[in-house]
Amino acid sequence: MTEVLWSRCGIEDCLRFRDLAPGSVVHVRPGGSFDPDLPPMAGRLLHDRNEVCFVPRFPFVDGTAYGVVVDGVATTVIVRPRANLPLTAEVVEVHPTGGTVPRNLLWFYVSFSAPMREGCAAQHVGLFDGSGTEMIGALLATEHELWDGHRRRLTVLLDPARIKRGLVGHLKANYPLREGEAFTLVIDTGFHDAHGTPLRTRYERRYEVGADQGGRVDPNRWDLSVPPAHTHDPLDVGFDRALDFGLLGRCLHVKGPDGGRVEGSPEVGHGERSWRLRPATPWAPGPYRLVVNPILEDVAGNSVDRVFDRDLTRSDDDPRPAGAVARTFQPR
Amino acid sequence: MSEYGLSVGSAEIGSAGPIAFGPDGILFLADNAAAKIFAVDVADPGEKSEAEPFDLENVDERVGSFLGCEADDVIIRDMAVHPSSHNVYLSVQRGHGDAGQSVLVRIDRIDGTVAQIALSDVPVAVVTIADAPAEDDERLDITLPQGDEGEELEIRGHKIRILRRPIRTSTVTDMAYVDGSLLVAGLSNEEFSSKLRRIPFPFTDDVADNSLEIFHVSHGKWETAAPIRTFVPYDGGRSILASYTCTPVVHFPLSDLTPGTKTVGRTVAELGAMNQPLDMVSFFQGGEEHLLVANSRHGLVKISCRDIDAQEPLTEPQEPVGVPRETEDLKGITRLANLSEGHVLALQVDGDRRHLRTLKTASL
Repeated sequence: MTEVLWSRCGIEDCLRFRDLAPGSVVHVRPGGSFDPDLPPMAGRLLHDRNEVCFVPRFPFVDGTAYGVVVDGVATTVIVRPRANLPLTAEVVEVHPTGGTVPRNLLWFYVSFSAPMREGCAAQHVGLFDGSGTEMIGALLATEHELWDGHRRRLTVLLDPARIKRGLVGHLKANYPLREGEAFTLVIDTGFHDAHGTPLRTRYERRYEVGADQGGRVDPNRWDLSVPPAHTHDPLDVGFDRALDFGLLGRCLHVKGPDGGRVEGSPEVGHGERSWRLRPATPWAPGPYRLVVNPILEDVAGNSVDRVFDRDLTRSDDDPRPAGAVARTFQPR
Repeated sequence: MSEYGLSVGSAEIGSAGPIAFGPDGILFLADNAAAKIFAVDVADPGEKSEAEPFDLENVDERVGSFLGCEADDVIIRDMAVHPSSHNVYLSVQRGHGDAGQSVLVRIDRIDGTVAQIALSDVPVAVVTIADAPAEDDERLDITLPQGDEGEELEIRGHKIRILRRPIRTSTVTDMAYVDGSLLVAGLSNEEFSSKLRRIPFPFTDDVADNSLEIFHVSHGKWETAAPIRTFVPYDGGRSILASYTCTPVVHFPLSDLTPGTKTVGRTVAELGAMNQPLDMVSFFQGGEEHLLVANSRHGLVKISCRDIDAQEPLTEPQEPVGVPRETEDLKGITRLANLSEGHVLALQVDGDRRHLRTLKTASL
């Protein structure tokens, strides 16, 4: 009887066959299957230390059973062991960080401590109302999950068809959130990290729901706290509304009297209602410009350029001419 | 393939995205981890032939068996049919998380066998679709990689390996090749914009300004922007019908799609509340062109192109809205591709399994 065991062949994982007759035909199938109608797993047979190894073209999957057929005879089912890893991944932050969000909030950013597994967000991220009932259909069920490059930050959209005024989704189902009613964002432990291990703890964050946020983002309404010249004191910018955390990371810059960008440590304040830049070198007395990329949005998707859903009957909502916006300030 | 700018190299795919055939059997393949699109000569071995109906039950189980994983670990991201051999190509993500691998497979339409398409040492060209340049976005998430990914740094005599990846990403949701251009729709993880990219093919180095914004007017009162989820060229490539994540179906002429501009499309239909468009295809029936729209909530929706052209912009937000449609009793269809003039190939979800099914256009 041929013995089959997990082994290594050089640097590759393999199934090792002992006492295999020369010239034998070996087929391996996942799911513990012996079904000859299913294509066998791609791989090759190699001779190693007077034994034969099946080296797969694609790695064996932990926890998967493999059915082995030798010369047309079902020989064994062998299960790939699953690594017993400790639970370490957790949610480290969710944006917006403010306690109250507008009724027309567009999305959340969920940041994890480790790279996560794709494809399970719809099952494990949900909104629950004050009575603990899941708000079905509040989040956009999309097959395209929006991750950053390391799969550590997930963008979770509320259903835009229910937020955009005038669309059937909005008229039939109304806003996903209800003004004056609290809700809780929940990420349960069924969300697995990249190793396939569940989250260490369930995450919950409660929000109150306020009035809609409308109109374009207008940097001229921001409060600038101008630092003295010759110091490393920070420039503090207070917004008139909560802005999008993701875009704040790249849409605000300060340019110095020489036109060059001021290097320093930018920080987004609590609730995404302020921004601070502590310069790497002291401020000079000359004029500086806080340059705003006009794609910068608030948490309801209104940008410096345009509103999220434009009422064509209101001139206030007309898009502004293209180009960056700047606020000038002068350390003294 | 040198006339298309392809040269021998590798298409290393981090996250399998949509696929679409271009001229001379070149396959466009999006990598949604690196925001790149590869043009690959897939060297299809099939002979030019008429396409017979082709059905394959449990295609995910069959592909999984070949790839050595269970059907649950097979994520079929997109499907395309080779224009002359009619073999079926699937863009597949095998497994999840760190164990995930992107694979391009071909299913032989005659015997249903599964084969992996080589993406190394093949004629290939590549274009980056991220908004250029990264000058305003220096945010890179840096981690310690497993294995030999990333780059090696030497700090105070110690060598460490790090992996830099962007925080901002672009996810391609659909692609189509029309008359020397690759049209690309996508989603950003930080902006809710309706950018459509029009990338010349053969690819050029000038990718800085290949996007335009498509707005649509809802019911004569609201002008909105939203990501395009799926679209289909029709009328010989002169027209585009696009469906948005927020479900309006919008028409615009290809000639309006000039990079660097803003275009306002004409809303001709809505797919309804709590619904998502998934894929679209055009076909001829009785000499007239029609479109099929796969969506997450209803059966296939069939729309006559003549009705689209005749449809006034929607002004009344009541259902049923827009062009006359027939909702076919075919549910669970997530992807569509033209198999031949008389047949459309569908990827259909039925319970936990996925099947390839041929739909006769004459009976749609």
